[in-house]
Amino acid sequence: MADIGNVRIRVPGSVKAGDVVRARVLVIHPMEIVERRGGRPVDKNYHFINRVVVTYLGREIAQFETTQSISENPFFAFAFKATEPGQLKVTFLDTHGGKFEGSADIKVT
Amino acid sequence: MNRSTRKLSRRQLLGSMTALGVAAGLGARPRAAAAQGAGSLASLGPEEAVDATIRRLFGGRALKDGAAQIKLDLPLIAENGAVVPVTVEVTPPPAAQVKAIYVISDKNRRPLNAKFVFNPGPAAPIIGTNLRLGESTDVRVIAELADGTLLQAKREVKVTVGGCGG
Repeated sequence: MADIGNVRIRVPGSVKAGDVVRARVLVIHPMEIVERRGGRPVDKNYHFINRVVVTYLGREIAQFETTQSISENPFFAFAFKATEPGQLKVTFLDTHGGKFEGSADIKVT
Repeated sequence: MNRSTRKLSRRQLLGSMTALGVAAGLGARPRAAAAQGAGSLASLGPEEAVDATIRRLFGGRALKDGAAQIKLDLPLIAENGAVVPVTVEVTPPPAAQVKAIYVISDKNRRPLNAKFVFNPGPAAPIIGTNLRLGESTDVRVIAELADGTLLQAKREVKVTVGGCGG
């Protein structure tokens, strides 16, 4: 539990300008599922990631809206066209107000 | 405060409008106070059949067969429904842009797994993630193009052990 919000992000070591780069990102998070008692869902503030924002060169390039039907310790892969060197940042937001960030430098040769 | 109570009553109203929703609405009605916050039942969305989800997301818009444009990678058999890897790669027709990709599992209680939205610009319509599947189900991927066209591809996954608990 102590590791909640630990973000790991992987990108290729170096890319050519104009290439489509694939990135992989993983965050440690319980992604709590709905409890049922006597066949009925229990109402409480479930703890899961509901939004992921991807930023490259300071601009938002994609957002993912996620639900509880994404696995525990969620993993996401995505791709984008690398035009210039800069920072790739992924921000995870959860239902309890948690905000977890991971970033990687894109090196363009 | 005011806003969230209004939201809850709208949800209950919606729930009681569907045939199944009568029971579901009663079940979801809290005994004391409703839980607050973005993870409460009221904000999770209703438990519904996949047809209802698709109607809610896309209205009556036609879903075109996108098997040629959407490359969907899923295991045929998933031993553990809690972690089912999926990758989706959309090759849109020339000059078209993919606005969003929806991943929907037909038999999950809340069928929408995730929605991936791409801003115009460098993002490419390629995604991968791990899904939770409650039981053997069709998994469908719907790609929404910038002009509103909806392309759909689906595959069946057999799940040995469900991933949604209870």
